[in-house]
Amino acid sequence: MGRSMIAGDRRARLMATMADAKLDALIVYGNAWQGDYLRYATDFGILEGQGLAIVGKDGHVALYLDIPFEVDRAELDCPNLEVIYAPDLMAAVDTKLDRLRNHRVGAAPQRLLPRRIAARTKDIDLSDATTFVDRLLMDKTKSEIAALRRAAEIADGGYRVFVDAARPGRADYELIAETESFFRSSGVDDNFQIIGVGGTDVLGMTPPSGRTLKRGDLVTTELTPCVDGYYAQICRTLVIGEPSPAQRAAHAIYREAMEAGIARVRDGVTAADIARAENDVFRKYGLGDYTTSKYTRVRGHGMGLFADSKPHLLETVTTRINAGMALIVHPNTYHPGVGYLVLGDGVLVTRPGCEVLTGTPRELFSVLA
Amino acid sequence: MRRGLIKWDPQELPLATLEARLGRLRAQMANTGLDGFVIYTNNVRPSAVHYLTGFTPYWSEGLLFVPKSGRLLFATALSNRVAEWIRSTNRVSEVISTPRPGLLIAECLTKEAAQRIGILELDGMPSELFDDLAAAAPTATWVEGSTQFAAARNAIDAAERALLLRADALACAGLDQASTADQADAGALAGSIEKHIRLAGAEEVYVALAPDLAADRRLNRISRSASLAARFAVRVSVAYKGSWIRRTRTYANNQSVIGADAWFKELISGMRAGQSLTKQVSTHLAALRGAGLESWMAESCIGGYPLSPVASSRAPDHDMPAGRFFVLTIALSLEQGPWVGAAPFIADEPSQSG
Repeated sequence: MGRSMIAGDRRARLMATMADAKLDALIVYGNAWQGDYLRYATDFGILEGQGLAIVGKDGHVALYLDIPFEVDRAELDCPNLEVIYAPDLMAAVDTKLDRLRNHRVGAAPQRLLPRRIAARTKDIDLSDATTFVDRLLMDKTKSEIAALRRAAEIADGGYRVFVDAARPGRADYELIAETESFFRSSGVDDNFQIIGVGGTDVLGMTPPSGRTLKRGDLVTTELTPCVDGYYAQICRTLVIGEPSPAQRAAHAIYREAMEAGIARVRDGVTAADIARAENDVFRKYGLGDYTTSKYTRVRGHGMGLFADSKPHLLETVTTRINAGMALIVHPNTYHPGVGYLVLGDGVLVTRPGCEVLTGTPRELFSVLA
Repeated sequence: MRRGLIKWDPQELPLATLEARLGRLRAQMANTGLDGFVIYTNNVRPSAVHYLTGFTPYWSEGLLFVPKSGRLLFATALSNRVAEWIRSTNRVSEVISTPRPGLLIAECLTKEAAQRIGILELDGMPSELFDDLAAAAPTATWVEGSTQFAAARNAIDAAERALLLRADALACAGLDQASTADQADAGALAGSIEKHIRLAGAEEVYVALAPDLAADRRLNRISRSASLAARFAVRVSVAYKGSWIRRTRTYANNQSVIGADAWFKELISGMRAGQSLTKQVSTHLAALRGAGLESWMAESCIGGYPLSPVASSRAPDHDMPAGRFFVLTIALSLEQGPWVGAAPFIADEPSQSG
């Protein structure tokens, strides 16, 4: 199933949902940080600048971009769109909206909509359509799931490259360079990846800061390659040299927590249920404090057109989990004895449970020091 | 996202340089009666905040508040766990992690009794952040501040010059990886170039190719196997410590690009302030026999974007100011086929590389 089939499936669902919501048009915004809404509506993976698209109820899509090189890319990647170079993006779309007076127009994601465009609520029936697009983003079609499977398979390959690249004396950014090179020649346009190198001094993962790997370091990473727009994630930890008993013991807790979370995944549970299953394991070992926002952000999240898709797995999030959703379950957090440690697998939600998409062993990896 | 090396080095970006930049913005604020200045940042629009602080968000977003005097305040939606990392690359701001940066900055504005606030790229401010600002500071007046900011960062300083030169050196070394003799696959070539540049410490790299330049002059990122034709082009966009450049080269399995390359190198090294790019490009074109000018575009860093168009063959420009940094991209028609090239330059610099 290729890109055109995925885009066609998405467009059909979007048109149907717009019809249900009685929308005449939908405005979507995107950039290379948060590009999922724009990608859903246009299939364009924006890299530089910003984009706004107006989707008509007849299926016509006008994509406005403010960087000329991106216009070239959009014309090549998305030949069925009307692509418009708009050096003053906000002014161009603002003018276009004049023609949508007396129409019902939705916008997504509302919170990122540029101020000038959002201000048109004064004279246009412009409503927040973020929630209904979110639903489309979360519940995947077969073609979307196929792309996620490919991305997960490449994530496994990427982690093998990452492990092979890790050795004492190398800088953290060199590991990323090796992984990116593999991804570029494997059909991966983009990748979300952060890294941690060290011990109890490391509170979380960040971009590489030039740290050099040395014996005893924990090297954590979160790899998220993107195939045809879909990001699949894997989280693993390796040790430079032989893992210490403390590192092994800590890893065993994270593995138990991740597997408890994965065991809880099924159609009909909530995001909170999965997070609670993970956190209960930490609480059992007296590590409950390390499940709070002081030490961890989320206990997993959706996978899809955004590297940090909804729903977030937190004990406060009551979003219903449906068959067809894709999630990463990762109890990543700080451990007071060894430092920040990560472990996570991507899963596809099914009615009775879930299918684990990533195949890398759930071990604490080690490389020769 | 940014996934290359992000690290503040006081040798490369001294605090005194950041203080001087801030001083120039504050002078512009004073001249135009602004009590404060607010700048939005994310990894797509990082450059203005980086210019003042040295910080680039690898992900998420934030707001920088520049008061008339005193310490800067950076409020970010990045989680508190990475606040220390932010502080390690941003030594000039108070750093606060909050899910609603707009509310926090507005509280600060109110505390400072700041009434007239400049905002860089006001029209493009994300609506939720702006609504939070406006709701929490209801008596403030919001002013489009892009002109003031562009005036403050018009001429580059020694630190930026050195970072740009480093980024350009990485780009050139990456492009040196390509040749018509060795490569047949566009995806493999893109991976090889990107790896080379990242291993040298780039913050970010975008590689784009036109695998068959004779058939289509548009360049695109390529991550799949695709045949390279006898004539192809590669563009690399490279960031080093927040400073971005682009370079584009045409490759052909004959000598046809050599003359155009030499012509372009001479054009770049001869660029002078005080004249328009339009005039300089058209005047110089006569030196390349048989060449037709298809298009040109100049980019610079004047606001939140790392590089954005400032002049082109479609939009003639004014005379270039001295000390300004540009990337010039040119497309030519030669007898042997199309040619595209891009290179950075600083107006009036005698020792530019082509």
